[in-house]
Formats: sequence, C-alpha cells, structure tokens
Amino acid sequence: MKYSYMPGCSLLSTARGYDTSARAVVRELGSELIELDDWNCCGANAIESVSYLLSLALPARNLALAEQANRELVTGCSSCFFNLFKINHCLRQEPALQGKLDEILAAAGLRYSATCRVRHLMDVIANDIGVKAVTNRVERKLTGLKVVPYYGCQIVRPSDEYNGPYLPAALDKLIVAVGAEPVPYLWKTRCCGGVLMTTEKAVGVNLAAEILAAAQSADCIVTVCPTCQMNLDAYQSEISVELGVRIRMPVLFLTQLLGLAFGLTEKDLLLDLNIVPVSGALRQLQKI
Amino acid sequence: MAEKVFNLTRDMLDPTFADLVAPDREKLLTCIQCGTCTASCPTAHAMDYTPRQLWRLIQLGLKEEVLSCNSFWLCTACYSCTSRCPRGIACTKTMFTLKRMALSTGVAKRHATAHFYEAFTETVRRHGRIHDVELMTIFFNKSKRLQAISYTRLGLTLWRKGKVSLDAAGVNIKRLDQMEAIFRKAEELERKR
Repeated sequence: MKYSYMPGCSLLSTARGYDTSARAVVRELGSELIELDDWNCCGANAIESVSYLLSLALPARNLALAEQANRELVTGCSSCFFNLFKINHCLRQEPALQGKLDEILAAAGLRYSATCRVRHLMDVIANDIGVKAVTNRVERKLTGLKVVPYYGCQIVRPSDEYNGPYLPAALDKLIVAVGAEPVPYLWKTRCCGGVLMTTEKAVGVNLAAEILAAAQSADCIVTVCPTCQMNLDAYQSEISVELGVRIRMPVLFLTQLLGLAFGLTEKDLLLDLNIVPVSGALRQLQKI
Repeated sequence: MAEKVFNLTRDMLDPTFADLVAPDREKLLTCIQCGTCTASCPTAHAMDYTPRQLWRLIQLGLKEEVLSCNSFWLCTACYSCTSRCPRGIACTKTMFTLKRMALSTGVAKRHATAHFYEAFTETVRRHGRIHDVELMTIFFNKSKRLQAISYTRLGLTLWRKGKVSLDAAGVNIKRLDQMEAIFRKAEELERKR
C-alpha cells in the first residue's frame, strides 16, 4: 500500500534516525511512504497557545495537499498526528469551523473537504501491514531483549478510534512480533515533559526521570514520538543527578527496533545518532 | 500547597470570565471538584494552582488571579485530564485559551514557555517549518539568556551528530507565500472575533 508521508520538522533534524529507519522498515514490509510535497509545520503545542485559528489552518494546509494526492496521510510524529487528526475531529464536532477554515485556506488558493484519513505510523505498521507480516520479515529474532513500550501521551489521546487512552497494546504486540519481550509498564502514556524540558527544565527533568526510573528493569525503551525520544535520551546525565542513580538507558524508535530484527545495519537505521549508545542493548542480544 | 484565603470583593470578580475561557461554559460550571484532573496531571505539583483549583477560580470569575498564575504554562497538553474528567469538561482546551488570553493581555511575558511559543510561531511564519537552532536562539534571546548555557553541551552534541544544522533557510518550504497568506488571514479573522 502507498501512503502520503509527512515526516514533520523533528524527523528532519533531531529525530533523523526515526525518518530514515521508518522509510527503510516500511519498504522492507512492502509498503511505501511517499513524502507529501512541500508539507509545513503542524504547529505542535505552540501555535494553539498563540492563535486557535492558526492551529487549525497549519495542519489543514497539509491535509489539503494530501487530499489532492488522494492517499491516507501517515506521520511518525505524535504531535503532527495529533494536530492533523484534530482537524477532522473538530470539523465533525463544530461544522461552523469549516467556513472559517475555507476562508483561510482560500487565501492560499487551497481547500480541504475533510476527506483525508490521518494515521500514525505505529497504527499503520500494527494494523494495516500487521503483526504477522512483521513476524514473517524477521531475520534475527530479538529473543530475550527486554523492551519498555513507551507510547507517550498524544498518540493515544485524541479519540476512541484505536487503542484506548491509557493501556494501548499495538507497540507491545510489535515488540512480541520481533521476538523481544515487552516489560509490563504502567507509565506507557505518561507525559515525557514535552516543551517543559526546554522552558522549565526542572519540571521536565522530573517527568522524564519518573519514566526512566520505572523502566530500569529493561534493556531499552522503545518509543514512537520524536519529542519523547529526545527528552528521554538526551538528558540522562541531568536525570541521573535528579535520581541519584546513574541512568544509561538506550531509547530507540520503534522502527529502529524493527529494523534490527529485519537484519538492517546500524547505519541503515542511523543508530549512531542516538545519544545514549544503543550498543549496550545490542550486547545484551549477543549474550542471548 | 498552603491554603490561600481570598477576601472576595465584587470588583475582583468578572462574571463573564468563564464564558470567555471555557469552550463550554455550562460544562465548566458543573465541575464537582473531584480532583481527577489534578490526580492525572503530571505537572500539578509545580503549579501555583492545581487544575481542580483553577476551575473553581474560573467559576468564581477571579480573572487576574487566574491569568497571572503559572498553572496553564505548565500544561504540556497531554490530555490526561480531558480524557478522564467525569463531567466531560474540555480541560486542556481551556488551558490553551488561558495561554492565549494571558499572551494577548500581556501578563504572560515573564513565563519562559510563553516566550518559547512566540519564538516557535515566528520561526514557522518565516520558514514554514521549524529550524531548531533559530528557534532556540530567538527563545533564549526573548527569555533567560543565561539558561542557554545548560543546553550548550547538548547543542554541540546534536550538531556534531549532524542532527541540527546552522542553515535556517535550508528548512524553507517552497510556498512561503501560502504560509504568509494563511498567517495574515488567520490574524484578520481572530481580530474580528
């Protein structure tokens, strides 16, 4: 199956490993991500704090472009997913918004008729491609690797459409599909700290510390959001100080984990771009 | 948190406040103070008022007290409260409205998160996408310059790994004209409201 694909800003910079591994893994699974031409920033949490209409119009431009391409729009970024998904939801709930959105998009010569389905990459891999297809593609079973399935908050919150808001299972199933072991974990959908890691560091560090502290029995954490990965991966020295324990926990993107099981190389998956080296978790694998 | 006593006088109360703040005022007025929102909130411990307390202050119309507190700036929009509220109150959406109101009335200027959101908006308008280095530069200029020091090492690591670039124009979308048109039209319609 072919999908329109919006990497989102983070996947072009701090989360490049996610973009590269996502494209590689989806290709391995026989589907195709076709990058949406000229997509723009979804607005994250920032734009809605400044202008409500703009927070609708920015993702709507992408949806208008994707509607022209006539394919489902996939993104691996939970913030992009949330914002894009929200537009269809808002238009259903508040039909009066359509007029305003039409007016704004018309200024850019665009129109969105609310027909583009928005998907998160995790959902596409788990439910379209399917757990079975993932299992079938495995070349190197990750037997014995203990993995924390960390979903983050925004991927599961917007709707009842899939997963449910607190104890989702798609990621767990994919971890099982590659032969690894999902660790029972109650903080699956707890906030990673988001923007606060930048603006109120003490609070951000505190949130990420709770998540990492609860994950200590695992070999690595797997996540499906660029912000979560960054917050959990990049601040472990500060978090170690906060907790009084040295934390050195590899944090991989789902697609990096799948790629390893598919026999792709560390280079194919840009594993060297992760801040905490993933080699520790890999050594664990070789032991097994 | 220590208990705070208000000696309420009529001039402290703005009866229209709940109308302005909540997407659905009637629902907000049905808040039973159960505290599910606060219990669900990952940052409530750092807030001047917990979410539960905030809803009560809004019901009462204590506009200035609400708009000058830090609570909504600590909302990361994880939507835990919204999905759990037994009254169906749009808690997170209300937090967003408070952020916008605080920004437009000027009381927000001392909060770092407010500076960040403004810097973010500026960057998106200019490039259509986020350029991390430019965003952080504008942000640190607007807020606490000194704080930048604690991010220097990480910034260098990211740069060494090729995860951030210094070329801001490199992220530009092709149709920046569309971006500008969208920003202008949205601003125009926001003014009309």
